[in-house]
Amino acid sequence: MLKATLRSFLAHKGRLLLSALAVVLSVAFVAGSLIFSDTVTRTFDRLFASTAADVTVSPKNDLKSRVATGATPTLAASLADRLAKVDGVAATHVDVSVENLTIVDRENKSIGPTSGAPTIATNWQVTKRSPVKLTSGHAPHGADEALLDADTAKHKHVAIGDTLTVQAERTFPVRIVGIATFTTTNPGAALLFLDTPTAQTNLLGSRDAATSIAVDAAPGVADAPLKQRIAAQVGTGRYEVKTADEQAKDAAAQLGGFLDVIKYVMLGFAGIAVLVGVFLIVNTFSMLIAQRTRELGLLRALGADRRQVRRSVLTEALLLGLVGSTLGLAAGIGLALGLIRLMSAFGMNLKSTEMVIGWPTPVTSYVVGVGVTFVAAYLPARRAAGVSPMAALSDAEVAGVGRPLRTRALVGSVVGVAGAAALAGCATASKTATSASLLGLGVVLTLIATVIAGPLLVRPVIRVLGGAFPALFGPVGRMSQRNALRNPRRTGATAAALMVGLALVGGMSVASASMSKSFDHQIDKTLGSDFVIQNSNFVPFTREITDKVRATEGAGLVVRQRFTPVAVRLPDGKRVETTAAGYDPRLDDVAHVTYTQGDTAAALGAGRLSMDATFARDHGVRVGSVIPVEFPAERKTELTVGALTDQGGSGGFGMQGGLVFGFGTVEKYVPGGQDSALYVNAAPGTSPDRLRAHLEQTLKPYPQVQVRDQADYKKLVHDQIAVLLYLVYALLGLAIVIAVLGVVNTLALSVVERTREIGLLRAIGLARRQLRRMIRLESVVIAVFGAVLGLALGLVWGVCVQRVLALQGMKSLAIPWTTIVAVVVGSAVVGIVAALLPALRASRMNVLAAIAHE
Amino acid sequence: MSTPAAEHAVGRRDADGVAARARGLTKAYGSGETTVLALDSVDVDIARGRFTAVMGPSGSGKSTLMHCLAGLDTVSAGQVWLGDTEITGLKDRELTRLRRDRIGFMFQSFNLIPTLNAAENITLPMDIAGQKPDQKWLDQVIDTLGLRDRLKHRPAQLSGGQQQRVACARALASRPELIFADEPTGNLDSRAGLEVLGFLREAVDDLGQSVVMVTHDPGAAAHSDVVLFLGDGRIVDEMERPTAEAVLERMRHFSGSRPTAGGASDDVAVDVVLAADSDDAPLGASLDASLDTLDTFDKD
Repeated sequence: MLKATLRSFLAHKGRLLLSALAVVLSVAFVAGSLIFSDTVTRTFDRLFASTAADVTVSPKNDLKSRVATGATPTLAASLADRLAKVDGVAATHVDVSVENLTIVDRENKSIGPTSGAPTIATNWQVTKRSPVKLTSGHAPHGADEALLDADTAKHKHVAIGDTLTVQAERTFPVRIVGIATFTTTNPGAALLFLDTPTAQTNLLGSRDAATSIAVDAAPGVADAPLKQRIAAQVGTGRYEVKTADEQAKDAAAQLGGFLDVIKYVMLGFAGIAVLVGVFLIVNTFSMLIAQRTRELGLLRALGADRRQVRRSVLTEALLLGLVGSTLGLAAGIGLALGLIRLMSAFGMNLKSTEMVIGWPTPVTSYVVGVGVTFVAAYLPARRAAGVSPMAALSDAEVAGVGRPLRTRALVGSVVGVAGAAALAGCATASKTATSASLLGLGVVLTLIATVIAGPLLVRPVIRVLGGAFPALFGPVGRMSQRNALRNPRRTGATAAALMVGLALVGGMSVASASMSKSFDHQIDKTLGSDFVIQNSNFVPFTREITDKVRATEGAGLVVRQRFTPVAVRLPDGKRVETTAAGYDPRLDDVAHVTYTQGDTAAALGAGRLSMDATFARDHGVRVGSVIPVEFPAERKTELTVGALTDQGGSGGFGMQGGLVFGFGTVEKYVPGGQDSALYVNAAPGTSPDRLRAHLEQTLKPYPQVQVRDQADYKKLVHDQIAVLLYLVYALLGLAIVIAVLGVVNTLALSVVERTREIGLLRAIGLARRQLRRMIRLESVVIAVFGAVLGLALGLVWGVCVQRVLALQGMKSLAIPWTTIVAVVVGSAVVGIVAALLPALRASRMNVLAAIAHE
Repeated sequence: MSTPAAEHAVGRRDADGVAARARGLTKAYGSGETTVLALDSVDVDIARGRFTAVMGPSGSGKSTLMHCLAGLDTVSAGQVWLGDTEITGLKDRELTRLRRDRIGFMFQSFNLIPTLNAAENITLPMDIAGQKPDQKWLDQVIDTLGLRDRLKHRPAQLSGGQQQRVACARALASRPELIFADEPTGNLDSRAGLEVLGFLREAVDDLGQSVVMVTHDPGAAAHSDVVLFLGDGRIVDEMERPTAEAVLERMRHFSGSRPTAGGASDDVAVDVVLAADSDDAPLGASLDASLDTLDTFDKD
């Protein structure tokens, strides 16, 4: 029996190839993401472990904000001398390291990395832990000398002797006197080194400031006990004391966030590949079994029992899974290599020779590859076992064609009704949490229902879709339409693969179009100033910019926005950590804020606070409530609620509660902060266009900030949503590739099955061209059928997503008709592409061989 | 059973009344030492307006002859004409058009497109060509074959005999110059077989068609005007106004004399003989089947 299985596997290797490809793709993405993240983690673990000091003392940072505030927490540099006296300490170093700065060259171009990695300015000191060494020039001395890392120097064309401008706490020029080269992996950041006094004065604003103190342990002293002695000496109230291990772990955790994004994207691709691949594999095995009905019947007639037949099919699946997983693992290594190269292009110099393949990678690969194939082949295997021995004797009637679809109809409609009910429920629910889970349930159920009921929809939908074919393409059109209707089960399953991908895209494009439209509304409704000046990635900018903008000719009112992390103790006893915004008093002139109680004056006054009305209600806050507020560095105060605002539920982005107070409050409790945005109005008598020209002139030396009016702002938002869409399109691309394989598979089999029919058609005078067109049209009908089903499902999902997110402020619904039409047209193209090979094969068929075909 | 040759369609240019013609038609399979000659320099004229049967044992080359005459297969040497068009050397596209517009086909089985109903199958060649069928003629064909109340049926809903009648109607519908029928009764019971043969006969007698039928059934061959006997890739005999008994007798004689019939002195012929030898069993079987058929005819 095993021999028969092996023979059969080898005999059908051509057909199995396409299924194997689906397995390969999914395994490749799984393996690739694992290998890549293992490699990066290992590399950085090494980097952090080698650069972390034995013990590090840094200022305690209790309130962590997701919104950057621009303030750098510092401690006194003199602490280093105190620590040097602690028993077991060999030496201490003052570390100054600042990330929130911009460095521009002579042409006012930023030399920072474009990948989103930080620009870091730090003090130059040669220790055994330094990740860089001086490779040319000399160490920096004095206020105007600096070193630059070699990678940045190379990419941004900076040489020794060049002058750069550093915009940090202060803005100052430096001359590059040397180049430092990474001895370990360069994490992609741009590094500027200053001598310690310059770094302290110009980056932190004080000769006695540091960002941390690095402590070297004396020989034979372990990190942990030393940490405890130091903690006892300085106290843990204001300082955080970490061993090298803890420091490395924390650093790795921070990097982890970035890695997770790549990992999830890759796993998303793997998921799509698996999902669509399952359809392909189910369909392939079903078709193989249909084709082999007589052979299986013969096996049964010769005495093989059902279990043996089923096992034979499953063994074939196992082989397919093993082959696919092995190839997928290899492809995954290639993919990881590609990603490592890509990272290098972005400045993160990982060494591909240090690629890490841990044992979980192959194990996961094989579990995914073999598991998916096995699960997908299970139903067809059962059906194969159900073939009666009589099938060997009967005429080659294809199995499964005639079986009634009643069970499908029943199960499909039950699941469909449940799914529709869940979706209806989520669209009307008033709590975000319940509606979101109902949405998830509804999406899954409706998808399953559509997949199950797909074959039932083939007849009615394709009758309509292909209705014009006979008129348009004559008998060729008629035959292609009827061929697509011939085996609804097969057509349905083939189209299902395409449907899944397109449903996802349909839903996402409705959601994102709605999001764009809602943001547009929001911007129209709230933004009242002529211009907004912001950093390109919304982080705060140097205070110098504020002064320059104020002094710009034609600038009238300038309202500053500054963020700070806060913790509020609310009347219901809850402590909420969030980010609050501070504004200058004349906020009304640059923004439209809707107050349910109170007004701007009451909200921004000294000792006052305002928050979102819904948040206030949920936590028992009323106008007049006195709220204890904690700021960073253990500064505390109490603020009185002066006004409540209606922010339309837009409390996301780490700004829970919508806390707003006066600019003065922020300045008072968070010294050293930087502004995140400036709202600027033209002075009377100056046209906005003139002001814009002046502002752009003023901001020329500051490439990190942009001047935007309402239209620019909308475009910015759209662009950011588009990034999300590109990801979805990439997912779609992969789904389509696999779905195309499925269509090719189905058509190729149909062509083989209809060999005699094709021979007959050719004999009575059907030209090759017409034959090719017939197969193309069938393919197009199947593909468009999948697209229509998928988009219809996606539209429903998208509308439900919008209804759910309406509770979060996404109030507008937009349906991107152009995208939808484009997708339908695109699916027709997909059909044509999928038909290329099968059509060619059919048209090359020898007429006589086809007629004589058994 | 005689055929009034003058009755058939007027205005054809070829005065000699030849629907198809082959000269020196040779078809070889394989190359070098393993070459097998399926047709060995065959000269043949298919008369216009007549019902020609091609008989011979399995492997005698009768199907190959039909395929070459119909432009389905390429020839190794020689020339073939349909009417006065030489079809040897035509490109696939021209051959396709020729088959579509000037030739009708009936095969032993799988004659119809399963997704199309009877009416659509009948007009398919004309639909493919984008021509409108001659409705009067079409009605006549449909009525002659008794298919009027079956037009909306799909092939799966028709009996074997009905399917062959639809195929016959399709072959006639475009009024082709020549109809090729390859074992048209091979898959039918005797009653349905007789019916189909009757229709082919009628097509020749009443509608003026030219028909070439390949068969190994003497009973079927007896319905034709002339029988060409093929053996070892050559035309070995010809019989006008055949009867089943005469054909059967001729086949028996032919089969018995076969070792000498292939006794040409050249090397190729030896190969052919060897190839033909292996066909003994199928020939005997087909003869037995033929006798059975004859018995059935008698009973009817």
